[in-house]
Amino acid sequence: MYLYLPVALTSINILIPVGLGLAVGLLSGLFGVGGGFLLTPLLIMFGIPSTVAAATDSNQIVAASTSGTYAHWKVGNVDFKMGLYLLVGGFAGGILGVQLIKLLHAMGNADFVIKITYILMLGIVGVYMFIESLQSMRKKTNTVEEAKEEKESAVGRFLKSLPLQTHFVKSGITHSIFVPIVLGAFVGILAAIMGVGGGFLMVPIMVYMLRMPMHVVVGTSLFQILFTCIEVTFLQAYTNHSVDFILAVLLLLGSTVGAQIGASFGKKLKAEQLKILLATIVLAVTVKIVFEITLTPSLLLSQVGGH
Amino acid sequence: MPEVRIQKSEVRKKLTSALIGIVVIAIATWAGDASAMLTAKANHDHITIDFFYHGSTVSVKGLSEPGTDLVVKITSPEGHQLLKKKGKVGGMLWMNVGQLKFENTPNFYEVFSTRKIEDILSTEEMDRHVIGFPALAKHVEITPVENEAEKAKWFDEFVKFKEDSRVYTSSSGNIKTSMNADGKQEYFIMTDWPYQAQPGDYLVTVYAVKDLKVVEQATAKVNVEQVGMVKSLAGMAKDMPAMYGFLSIGVALGAGFGVSMVFRKGGGAH
Repeated sequence: MYLYLPVALTSINILIPVGLGLAVGLLSGLFGVGGGFLLTPLLIMFGIPSTVAAATDSNQIVAASTSGTYAHWKVGNVDFKMGLYLLVGGFAGGILGVQLIKLLHAMGNADFVIKITYILMLGIVGVYMFIESLQSMRKKTNTVEEAKEEKESAVGRFLKSLPLQTHFVKSGITHSIFVPIVLGAFVGILAAIMGVGGGFLMVPIMVYMLRMPMHVVVGTSLFQILFTCIEVTFLQAYTNHSVDFILAVLLLLGSTVGAQIGASFGKKLKAEQLKILLATIVLAVTVKIVFEITLTPSLLLSQVGGH
Repeated sequence: MPEVRIQKSEVRKKLTSALIGIVVIAIATWAGDASAMLTAKANHDHITIDFFYHGSTVSVKGLSEPGTDLVVKITSPEGHQLLKKKGKVGGMLWMNVGQLKFENTPNFYEVFSTRKIEDILSTEEMDRHVIGFPALAKHVEITPVENEAEKAKWFDEFVKFKEDSRVYTSSSGNIKTSMNADGKQEYFIMTDWPYQAQPGDYLVTVYAVKDLKVVEQATAKVNVEQVGMVKSLAGMAKDMPAMYGFLSIGVALGAGFGVSMVFRKGGGAH
């Protein structure tokens, strides 16, 4: 059955957005990512204008991350304190990133910087997570613990010397409040440049730099994404009029259920298995983008706006 | 004395019995040295877009003098369109390398003819009436381009882009003609009306062609309009963006919590 989308001004088979929502919601609940880096290009592929695809994606992520955050909160996997500090940093970084994008547009090379940033960030994150997870799965537990301790002591001295140290009970770690704020700002800048929520960057940063346990990472990332996407949805609706309410409802029909299934399924997987799965998806997206920019496109013109 | 009759067939969906119609307002015109009076009848007022709209069909039929060829052109009003262009950076990477402005271009352009346009119309006549892509190419202004070759390249890409969205097409041999008992030529064409065609007014022009010239023409209007909830939501998104934003967020939060509750009761989440 087809439904007409009043803002996208196109008609779509309802099975497509519901199915895509279910798949992306599953990833969201499993890995703590919003899934924008996957869903937005897929929506464009199915004929949704790029501006509407990006804005509506944010809207549905609000639903999926609410569902996912709730599911993770019920099993005690959300570090609200850490999430709030990351949000503060992310918000500041987002503002800075938007200014950077304006500057790049004025210089005329924004698209090049965005694409290269995409490939580099996705590639580095994907390869690092994949190799690290593979090694962790192969090595004995005690060896991994030793390696972690060595790494922590090297970076730890500097981090512990920072002022305003505070303990994050849920994650079982102690950091200066500046650490999550600065890292949140870093992700915020990149997310603004790349036009995505930044979940796939935030998750590895929480795992490898903040040393948070993987299951708390997923819940906390979703909590942070929820607020980011509420802000983005409102701004997109208010300034660009590009949120398609009907498309968002169709997507969230699938994604909210998918997020619950993902959160439930995630509990049955080990941390290393979760990481290697996410790394594989991130690497697949990287390869797709590399193909996109190296193979001659079928159309040399596209709508203004979107990614 | 050609007669243009635009008839819109109905799309009926399972959950609705909504009718999709076409407005046809015929305007008699004089063309060339022929004196003729055009008449038209409308079956429906306009094409209505509701939630279950998935495009429609438009049929154009009427009478013309025997021996004339026919061209049917359906266009939206002309305007300008801004599009991103892709180019190679560093000789190997395809990137967006700027924007192109296409002026004097309709968003929607469909041309149908009894035979190949080049075989029945002179270049001058095609240009004068902007019939066919070569004529449209001369009519359109593209900026910034450095020369005619570059303009031609980007116009071809523009047509490819529009054809991909199903809003541009040009084909021949799909208008059926036959002689009636009064010795007049009857013509008929039925074409898909794509759901990608945006709401607005569309102009249908039928040209009667003889000896490489347009000898008569008739025009009619097709109106495509959003109705009901589709219209309300589209209007709200544009006119009350803050409320629309809050509504979108509220529904998303509600759906997220709602599904969580369902799973909680069902024991699916934990």
